[in-house]
Amino acid sequence: MEIDSDVPMQDATEETLDPTLDEDALSKAQEGPGSSGIADHKASKPLQLDSGNIGQLDQWIEHLGKCQVLSEDDVSRLCKMAVDVLQFEENVQPVNVPVTICGDVHGQFHDLIELFKIGGPCPDTNYLFMGDYVDRGYYSVETVSYLVAMKVRYPKRITILRGNHESRQITQVYGFYDECLRKYGSANVWKMFTDLFDYFPITALVDNKVFCLHGGLSPMIETIDQVRELNRIQEVPHEGPMCDLLWSDPDDRGGWGISPRGAGFTFGQDISEQFNHTNDLSLIARAHQLVMEGYAWSHQQSVVTIFSAPNYCYRCGNQAAIMEMDENHNRQFLQYDPSMRPGEPTVSRKTPDYFL
Amino acid sequence: MKPQKRLLTQDDMDIWSHSETFNNLISFLSGLAESVKGLENNEYQKPTGSSIESCCQLLEEVASLAEQYPVKQDAETSRFGKVEFRYFYDDLKSKSQGLIQRAFDALDGTQCEELSVYFAESWGDRSRIDYGSGHELNFLCFLYGLKEFGVFKEPADYRNMVLKLFIKYLGVMRTLETKYWLEPAGSHGVWGLDDYHFLPFLFGAFQLSTHKHLKPKSIHNSEVVEMFGKRYLYFGCIDFINKVKTTASLRWHSPMLDDISGVKTWAKVAEGMIKMYKAEVLNKLPIMQHFFFGSFLQCPEGISPPGTHAESHQHCSHSPLENTWGDCCGIRVPSAVAATESQKAGPKRIPFD
Repeated sequence: MEIDSDVPMQDATEETLDPTLDEDALSKAQEGPGSSGIADHKASKPLQLDSGNIGQLDQWIEHLGKCQVLSEDDVSRLCKMAVDVLQFEENVQPVNVPVTICGDVHGQFHDLIELFKIGGPCPDTNYLFMGDYVDRGYYSVETVSYLVAMKVRYPKRITILRGNHESRQITQVYGFYDECLRKYGSANVWKMFTDLFDYFPITALVDNKVFCLHGGLSPMIETIDQVRELNRIQEVPHEGPMCDLLWSDPDDRGGWGISPRGAGFTFGQDISEQFNHTNDLSLIARAHQLVMEGYAWSHQQSVVTIFSAPNYCYRCGNQAAIMEMDENHNRQFLQYDPSMRPGEPTVSRKTPDYFL
Repeated sequence: MKPQKRLLTQDDMDIWSHSETFNNLISFLSGLAESVKGLENNEYQKPTGSSIESCCQLLEEVASLAEQYPVKQDAETSRFGKVEFRYFYDDLKSKSQGLIQRAFDALDGTQCEELSVYFAESWGDRSRIDYGSGHELNFLCFLYGLKEFGVFKEPADYRNMVLKLFIKYLGVMRTLETKYWLEPAGSHGVWGLDDYHFLPFLFGAFQLSTHKHLKPKSIHNSEVVEMFGKRYLYFGCIDFINKVKTTASLRWHSPMLDDISGVKTWAKVAEGMIKMYKAEVLNKLPIMQHFFFGSFLQCPEGISPPGTHAESHQHCSHSPLENTWGDCCGIRVPSAVAATESQKAGPKRIPFD
């Protein structure tokens, strides 16, 4: 019988990945926020769009829309522009209705494109993404580049919050770091994006009524004003209110609980109701947990979880969802299934260091 | 001696990776791997030996225990994983020491107690309902402990430790993974080797390292995978992945395996697997912060003293179905002050997601 594979494949190139992978990551992480240089020359007022940079952005968006990565230099330019948009946003970024609210994407680029088909193209539809663009999926670089480019191009039409995965430490564990090395041959792009993540707003408030964030509540935060007082421009801390907002989960049980994740807390219905009452809210919308139908209510509809990565990691069999809010605050959930992956990846094989 | 978690900082990791304990564990692993070079799954040593048989029965009992805890389709849950895993886990954990004692009557109570920690950890995490290569490592440590306590003989029992015991363990794990929807602990998603396992790839590459016809790129040939899935661990893993992963082909959902398929020979893959295991499992703090040291896996000198972890608190066993999150003693954190207090000083473990 024919043992050899009938799948056409080129031989692995002898190209090596960064040989000092971990030390490199470590030393770069130790260089601290900002060492990529993307925020070295911050502007004192928000980026002004003109015909020049609009042309540039449209070109990048078209390129990224085909699921092709930008060059390292272009990522650097994009991130510098994005700093000058995001640094002027608030910890609690105000958002108007109508808006479509989305959860985790995790590098599932083709499903993100499906999301825009289901929800309507941006900028015709306003979007609010609640974090976790990177890690685990095949196309974290393309996904986050695309969303950031859209943010810079249509700053009033799309809001991108920070998730717990938009962090140096977490991306070194869960794949984005590996992906950047794999696709660019160095950690530079990872460094730029993780420096940029520090500027992402951490929560949003839709029409003063729906509080949106990645994880959940914090025992150290009773009012939305307390979120406004935080200094968010930093790596996601291991503890404290900013950490909790990105890591916590609602729970069936009342009160605060210790999270099995080892970061953030669990919070019960009493906590959610009190928070909504104190802050005159109708709903907390959050992401962060895989839910089989793509969305799930908890705490008698005071909290909703939205997850926008269908068939998460190619194996969970879950649907994805987004939540539309119209001018009258009517909510509608749109669910969708995974899009089939066309053909084979275009990236050529690279033998990992260990096997050379 | 009750095993304890000790590794907490990068400094700890540096000491650990240069320690005798580290080297002993690697020699053990290499010894196991070398012992199955060129062998198919069913080419175990016959007769299997009484200790191997006893251990097989022990693993069999784990499998039957899991059968007692079926998944109720309508159970309310806010987690992806099935909460009935906790019933199974609690039962198994409470019985572990007794089961080990019954299987190996030459061992004393202290030895059984120590082994039971590694054994119980081998099946996943109760609270997060997940499983990963760190749990798999605990099973390796369990086998190592049995060898150190004289139950298994080096090298006579090595081949069967892989071809009988590890394969049996893998079979039980596959059942648990699919039945309880175990989440992949600390998964790198597509960028990792596999959602759950490492060692079957490592042992599997050694099995194939002398094969005349099968090549690493044969993993792309579905007929080969089907035909050899039951005969070699590596192809068995590919077969499992292809069955579990949907909506995309292997090159999409497993680029790491795809990359490795470009390596010319299985011998090179085998060699690389050992290097990769050292780097990606034994030298990774997110995994090793949960590693237990005890009498047969001695904690190297100079590592952070026990109890310095800002530990998120050991889990108690309340009814697993009451809820699915934070069900540890109903600890309430009523105020910001209490929340701050609860954050003990000292380095924190890297959280899970």
